[in-house]
Amino acid sequence: MRRISQWFFLILFLFLFIKTAYKGTDQIAYPVRIFLHFDPLIMVTTFLSSHQVPQALFLSFITVAFTLVFGRVFCGWVCPLGTLNDFMGRFAPKERRKEQQGDRGQRIKYYILFFLLVSSLFTLQITGLVDPISLLIRSLAVTVEPVVNLMVHVTFDLFYRADIPGVTAISEPLYLFLKRHVLAFRQPLFYQGVVIGLIFAALLAANLYRRRFWCTHLCPLGALLGLIARISPMKRIVGDQCNSCSLCVQECRTGAAADREGAWKKAECVMCGECQEDCPQDAVRFGFASFNGKGRRAGIDLQRRGVIAALLAGIFMVPLVRINPLYKRGQGKLIRPPGALPEEEFLRRCVRCGECLKVCLTNGLQPSLFEAGLEGIWTPRFDFHIGYCQYYCTLCGQVCPTGAIRELTQEEKGRTKIGLAYIDKNRCIPYAQGIECIVCEEHCPTPDKAIKFEVAEVMTKKGRKKIRRPIVDLNLCIGCGICEYKCPLHDQPAIICTRLGETRGEDFLLPL
Amino acid sequence: MSGITRREMLRCILAGAGLILSPWPWRTIASAAPAGPLDLVISTGTSATLITEAAVQALGGMKRFISRGDVVLVKPNMAWDRVPEQAATTNPEVVATLVRMCLEAGARKVKIFDNTCEDPRRCYVRSGIMEAAKKAGGKVTYVDERRFREMELKGEVLKRWQVYQEAVEVDKVINVPILKHHSLARLTMGIKNLMGLIGGTRSQLHWHLDQALVDLAAFFKPTLVVLDAVRILTANGPQGGSLKYVKRFNTVAAGVDQVAMDALGATLFGLTPEEMDHIKLASQRGLGQMDLAQLRMKEVKTDS
Repeated sequence: MRRISQWFFLILFLFLFIKTAYKGTDQIAYPVRIFLHFDPLIMVTTFLSSHQVPQALFLSFITVAFTLVFGRVFCGWVCPLGTLNDFMGRFAPKERRKEQQGDRGQRIKYYILFFLLVSSLFTLQITGLVDPISLLIRSLAVTVEPVVNLMVHVTFDLFYRADIPGVTAISEPLYLFLKRHVLAFRQPLFYQGVVIGLIFAALLAANLYRRRFWCTHLCPLGALLGLIARISPMKRIVGDQCNSCSLCVQECRTGAAADREGAWKKAECVMCGECQEDCPQDAVRFGFASFNGKGRRAGIDLQRRGVIAALLAGIFMVPLVRINPLYKRGQGKLIRPPGALPEEEFLRRCVRCGECLKVCLTNGLQPSLFEAGLEGIWTPRFDFHIGYCQYYCTLCGQVCPTGAIRELTQEEKGRTKIGLAYIDKNRCIPYAQGIECIVCEEHCPTPDKAIKFEVAEVMTKKGRKKIRRPIVDLNLCIGCGICEYKCPLHDQPAIICTRLGETRGEDFLLPL
Repeated sequence: MSGITRREMLRCILAGAGLILSPWPWRTIASAAPAGPLDLVISTGTSATLITEAAVQALGGMKRFISRGDVVLVKPNMAWDRVPEQAATTNPEVVATLVRMCLEAGARKVKIFDNTCEDPRRCYVRSGIMEAAKKAGGKVTYVDERRFREMELKGEVLKRWQVYQEAVEVDKVINVPILKHHSLARLTMGIKNLMGLIGGTRSQLHWHLDQALVDLAAFFKPTLVVLDAVRILTANGPQGGSLKYVKRFNTVAAGVDQVAMDALGATLFGLTPEEMDHIKLASQRGLGQMDLAQLRMKEVKTDS
């Protein structure tokens, strides 16, 4: 039962993940953000940091309600990262499986939770870095998908080029099928794919040390649900048949089971039900505690010192990341996707799930490193060297789970400036060399072109001649960056977009 | 001899033979009414489908160009993320009609693809061509990066370049451009549309665009060119976007000589072929006829 549920949700998750891309319609029907909407940690921290919660996040009350009744069933039955951890845990060496989970490790996740709650209360929203759903989507989008794509492509390219009779005849249709239904339309490439991938790999590998290491030691969502689960009427009853073989204690993946009455760690239990199944004496039962006092449980063992340290760290983290000169004046090259809220508000909302990075048609949206300060790590920014903002596309706003990027209509999108273009006349071919070029003008997508021409008479080696040189009409330019991307000077384009003139804030205005 | 195709050679011989054999008075009549197959047809009317059919029929029908079992490439211009009303991409009805006619003429397979300027998924969908061509029985594919090969083009500026293999492998190419304004080339029509069959950093071709276009025309020799002027984009090309520059023109032209077709397009647009550098260059290199008066031309109207 549980396995079926777990695989169902994992497959659903992966299916939605693959479907979170442009599939021939302007609207994405079911982006994978729905999983984030069921995530109460995202809801709570978003509420604390921005005092606003998108309505869709109220779905997470369903998760809360389930937890109130049944305990941490989300972790054990639904969470796709939990399923992956369970899967990896199967490869844990035998002797490691028997070692008990210690209280010390289990506490860490509560401290992380408190740290996040306090820092988000003081407007620093970095929950997305460690929220399991956010982390999973980001890791898949930025690393796993690009890696899988590259591997598949290289493999099938090999068959394609070798053109082995028989083999290629089979591999090509298979490749086309994969390409149409599974793979990304074009090879995605992301900065920091390695870093994000190594973190993800480390988390999965940690299962070999302790099964569900992430869930028991680190996961702040697990901690939150654990706290909620404490008051659920669910109970675990150990009957009189129990002969204290301690099999259940050894086999428990989260270190929650106990063979004594009253030692069951309810907040750690993910309701997998394995101890009930495995018990040779049939002594373990789960049920609702509506009658007598049986089935007592152990509380969460927190240390006052640790809690205070976490709270203080949460408080001090906020000024710590903000003593950065960027808070005096932001970076001009930090171009946010269209519909992004004003920078401060944007940072309070973005949970770095990376869905916008994934759906971006041109791969232009990239995870930032320190361009927006440490606080803004892995938030989306445009790199027009890699891709640009497609004029009619509004996908990033559609998939954003917290409304950090507003969903725009195509009409609004056409009016939203994310920056402005300027020409580097020292490099621009017509200006610098007196040769016609105009690629930027040709690609400029605004209905009335923001890049226009002036005709100038210039001296060239072959005498005087008239050529057309591009000029930018700042009133029409929306900073989409296609000119920068398409400029034939690939090393360093002669037309560049910066944040100046962006619609969303007042910091980078220009007299237009 | 390079400038003369087998067909033209045959035509010369036949014409010469006819000239010798026919007595005086007959000859004058023969030259007044076009003898032999037409070179060029201009078809006007309100239905894009009907005028496309009429244009090809007047040229002698699709069977003149397509043999049974041919693999045909119908190459529209779908370079941009624009809808048909914006007249930046070939009219989907025109494309679909040609696909259908090719299949009816016995073509084994009709392929449709274009190396687009913007995201191909959006271009294929929004131009309406993918849906229309698929419905007509065509095989619409996205350009596959693996299938570009560096080929010897032996041109003036295009010595070697990345060419899409399938475009060379097909038996026949039908070029279906849209007539529209282009900021650098002034107009983009058939020859410019060939740029959708090559890869590489195409933007660099803009530095010597006219020469590059002529090199392309010398390399790809479409069997048939069908110029879509159902709607034309009069300014802000090649991408347009604003409806105020779109003009309903209700015309489709078809012809066998791609230089003549571009010359005709220029004329329809209100320019003279001499104003277009690439047409002049192509004509000088013997790739086709830019003097429309030299061609057997016919106008057909589908609306009564």
